[in-house]
Amino acid sequence: MSNYDIIRKKTIEFLKKARDAGCFKHILIPMEIPSKESFSYVLIKDESFLIDASPLPPVNPVQGAKVLSSLTRRGELTGKTAAVMRPCEIRAVIELGKLGQVKLENIVLISIDCPGLLPFSSYTADPEKGKARFEKVIGEWGNDSIRPVCMTCTHFADKAGDIHIGIIENNNDISVIPVNDRGKALLEQCVIPAGKDTGARETKIKKETDKRQENLNKSDDELKNSLQGLNNLDKMFADCIGCYNCMRACPICYCRLCYFNSENIRHEADEYIRRAEAKGSLRFPADTLLFHSGRMTHMSLSCVGCGACEDACPVSIPVARIFQFIARQNQALFAYTPGSDREENIPLVVYKESELEDFEDSH
Amino acid sequence: MDTFEPKIVGFLCNWCSYAGADVAGNAKLNVPASFTPLRIMCSSRIDPALILTAYFRGADGILVAGCHPGDCHYEKGNYFARRRFAVTKNTLKALGLDSQRLRLSWISASEGKRFAEVVSEFTEHIKKLGPNPLKETGDL
Repeated sequence: MSNYDIIRKKTIEFLKKARDAGCFKHILIPMEIPSKESFSYVLIKDESFLIDASPLPPVNPVQGAKVLSSLTRRGELTGKTAAVMRPCEIRAVIELGKLGQVKLENIVLISIDCPGLLPFSSYTADPEKGKARFEKVIGEWGNDSIRPVCMTCTHFADKAGDIHIGIIENNNDISVIPVNDRGKALLEQCVIPAGKDTGARETKIKKETDKRQENLNKSDDELKNSLQGLNNLDKMFADCIGCYNCMRACPICYCRLCYFNSENIRHEADEYIRRAEAKGSLRFPADTLLFHSGRMTHMSLSCVGCGACEDACPVSIPVARIFQFIARQNQALFAYTPGSDREENIPLVVYKESELEDFEDSH
Repeated sequence: MDTFEPKIVGFLCNWCSYAGADVAGNAKLNVPASFTPLRIMCSSRIDPALILTAYFRGADGILVAGCHPGDCHYEKGNYFARRRFAVTKNTLKALGLDSQRLRLSWISASEGKRFAEVVSEFTEHIKKLGPNPLKETGDL
């Protein structure tokens, strides 16, 4: 049996047991779509569907936080529902919870160690090959066939939910680790022995984190050379067709009406003529950089680097890496790590009376 | 470059900084004529997209001015404004753009003199920086 199948089977066994013990009623989990070409989130009531679930799919066309946001848009869930997702998705769920865009009541968040995801377009070009590549990714715990943004992710083993499923260094088994009191109580309720971090697991995580941090530093250095400055930005976003897929795929861009989709940035013809006359010329689609930089200022504090934007970009602009590069610098202003602490407020809704003096009266 | 008159867009809060500008005018203080004031109800009303729009359209400088910390008409608007402004300026800096063209200052309703000083000082700073290259860049 492949690693992929072992993880799948063991996770499903755990979910079944927990469900039978009444820990939750429904399960939201990724599943391969019938055509076997991709994966999708499925809300499961009937146990017969659960055997086909894929807790760790090779690709992720829709970010889990977006799914939970749709699910709870009109109010909280009535029965307990378990949501099995990757750490980045759960971190986005927690950010949306703070923004009131996901109602977290009655949702049991179950995170799982993530070796990375394959780029969506390369997977769908040949799903069979994709599966084989992903099997290797699990075996080697991440290799260079995963998405570039995943290769720089240091949150791959974050215990982000109420319960975490550890698969790193677990000798063909999974370890069900309670993360908070809620998770602990649930595991006790369904009489499932609580796993914990083993030394081997911690060592491996540390080693992988170091490796990815190194990748991240390298990627940052590259971006400093290829992104910064007007000329570079012009080149970087030259292919942008203004489809706004990155914004639509982003779990953090929750606004029902985005400023950049509103009439506020659609102008009379005269206005465009005036701009063309003032500048000498005006390229269309207009305001490309305004859109991207505007989005950065709007969502970067909560950006978890899930890479949904890059998967959705039809012209292969490395948006996820660019946004993460900016996001980390903005998050550093407030020493904020999105999705790490449910009790911590998003920086823009709180303040300190004395802070950010460097930004006052300076140029 | 001697003839360069920087175009500076000023977002002034209704309760303090705009009133401060009025005081400067009543006192007949010298304020560079190329300064374009825009009255807004509170400095926290300034969405980063407004600053960025002015910047990408070629404004040479952008001033956001509000009440001094602790004096906000809405109690804490300027504290939020400071955080939003920091994110905006930091984003421009991270993109390798002219974050020096952005300034945040607190100017009270009685500080006509301070208003004139801030605008003059900022104008001088922008004169040294030169025109915003985006003024003549086709489009981005």
